[in-house]
Amino acid sequence: MTGFDQLVGGFAVALSWKGLLYCFIGCLWGTIVGVLPGLGPLAGMTLLLPLTFGLEPSIGIIMLTGIFYGAMYGGSTTSILVRIPGEAASVVTCIDGYEMAKQGRAGPALMISAVGSFIGGTVSILGLMFIAPPLAKVMIAIGPSVEVVLMLLALSVITLVSAGSRIKTALMVVLGLLLGSIGLDNLTGVARFTFGNTSLAGGLSFTALAIGLFGVSEILINLEKTETIKAITPKLRDLVPRWKDLRDSAPAVARGSIIGFIFGIIPGVSHVVSTFVSYAIEKKFSKHPEEFGKGAIAGVAGPETANNAVTGTAMIPLLALGIPSIPATAILLSALTIHGVQPGPLLLTDHPEVFWSLVASMYIGNIILLILNLPLVGIFVNLLRIPYAWLVPIILIISIIGVYSVNFTAADIWIMVISGAAGYVLRKFGYEMAPLLLALVLGDRLEASFRLALTMSGGNYATFADKASVIVLTSALAILLAVQALAWAFGYRKAIADEAESA
Amino acid sequence: MSEPGKVSAGRLLPLAISARNGGIFMAGLLALIGLVFAWQASLLDFGGFDLPGPGFFPLVLGVVVFAFSILIAVEGFRGEGDGETVELGHRDVLIVLAALAAVAALFEPLGAYLSLGLFGAVLLVVLARVSVPLAIVSACIAMAACWYFFQVLLGLELPIGPF
Repeated sequence: MTGFDQLVGGFAVALSWKGLLYCFIGCLWGTIVGVLPGLGPLAGMTLLLPLTFGLEPSIGIIMLTGIFYGAMYGGSTTSILVRIPGEAASVVTCIDGYEMAKQGRAGPALMISAVGSFIGGTVSILGLMFIAPPLAKVMIAIGPSVEVVLMLLALSVITLVSAGSRIKTALMVVLGLLLGSIGLDNLTGVARFTFGNTSLAGGLSFTALAIGLFGVSEILINLEKTETIKAITPKLRDLVPRWKDLRDSAPAVARGSIIGFIFGIIPGVSHVVSTFVSYAIEKKFSKHPEEFGKGAIAGVAGPETANNAVTGTAMIPLLALGIPSIPATAILLSALTIHGVQPGPLLLTDHPEVFWSLVASMYIGNIILLILNLPLVGIFVNLLRIPYAWLVPIILIISIIGVYSVNFTAADIWIMVISGAAGYVLRKFGYEMAPLLLALVLGDRLEASFRLALTMSGGNYATFADKASVIVLTSALAILLAVQALAWAFGYRKAIADEAESA
Repeated sequence: MSEPGKVSAGRLLPLAISARNGGIFMAGLLALIGLVFAWQASLLDFGGFDLPGPGFFPLVLGVVVFAFSILIAVEGFRGEGDGETVELGHRDVLIVLAALAAVAALFEPLGAYLSLGLFGAVLLVVLARVSVPLAIVSACIAMAACWYFFQVLLGLELPIGPF
């Protein structure tokens, strides 16, 4: 069966009534969680994770991925109209998007943001379609030693590209690996750190930890804020951009697609970093850099395109290597595993229908989002009028039921509560949660591959420096250095710090 | 009831601690966690460097967590501190955490719907400041919706408690 035949098969699943329905639900819910401050793609995906248990893996993954890119779209709406980023990747859109809205140009900002997101998303799906299958073929041939090298690289990159303190990020990575060792040892079956508690034998519930560390801690932090929300709602006829808007944003959209495409593969805070780098590049390329910060449309078009271009390429390391590059794809990994599908090089041979229906659904989802987001923008903005104190119990009740329904044990609710409290305190002191979660999800595999590689080589550590490993290391190091140079050249750290200061 | 369009504002308890001292304390706490893990891992079979056992990985990681935490603590200790404070102990945060802990404890003995209904009603009264009757009615409607969605539509069997 050729790739084209498989893509046609994927479209058959994605265009079935079930595929379309769940893609629509995912996109709609994703837009809602993207709009609401305090709920991002991660919380949105974990909350609806239980809903996928009764579905076929392809349909479940179509819905969860819809939430992921739907949230990216939704986040920009509140950034432009209210100056509240619905999620982290939309922070930079606030700068020029809200300025445009204040000048009565919210419509063109929303339109360009949606079209840019659509183009960026489509480019990244093409990347996923053409890069993942050959990469998976290469990866099938590699052994556990190269897998260890790859995973260590991914974790090192997370530390290096972190916007905060590197040592704190490194600590979170190691802590994540350590927490991942709780439960039965994969190779010998020895219980580790379970203290006789059978509910810990399978390890800490990833869903409970993810909802606690991200969802609950975010809610707790938001409870401390007092903000008056004043939304600017444009009329449908105001959405049409001027010729000058199109001319100014076209190159920004093209550059944003490339930046998002490249950054999507880098583990860590890629979607956030890509928006800052895109903004900085647009400012450097602009003939009128002084307009940035005062309502420059390229300052909206570039970052929004980059942010959405990440969604497809972030799937490449997940689906081809089984390594999640951002927390949202870690949730997808967890969901696939629950459905008995192991992401990685064998996914394309063992479950090609999952991969190709996902690719097809992303094309369809991008169109659904374009249709959904522009005419219904007023409705989504009105969601912000619901008092946060009313939303808190609703979100938490859904979270509790979601967490409980994975393993049907109240111990998981305790894990959610404790990790929520811990996440709240750790974030207050500048520790990031994403590295911990990514390390946690990789911990088991890293240890198993490490020990397996040593067993196979008779305890010879030189196995980690064989020919294939060296090639992987060198090429990854080159990419890493290039990305670092790019990020530093355009000062995204400073941009993040400035934004945090002004927020 | 809180005003529409406004994020709920709670009172702050007087717990604004120095970012420097709090940071050192946090690092100390993380170092302790690393130590406990390393100690527990040392009770497991370490194996050898050539063929690691189940205790190898957690022991090494526990030691690294301890070492990194100490580095952070030393960094904080050597820094001057710029008078920055971190505020902890917000009233609403403490209420939500206490309510969550209560749900975790009562979820199975009382049943999902009763414990979650009580949780929702209490948060509506305390956070959103709605009247008690309105909170009870809202919680009942929410629980009916939850039952229909999760139990009837999705077939999730949640604990029903003594009833």
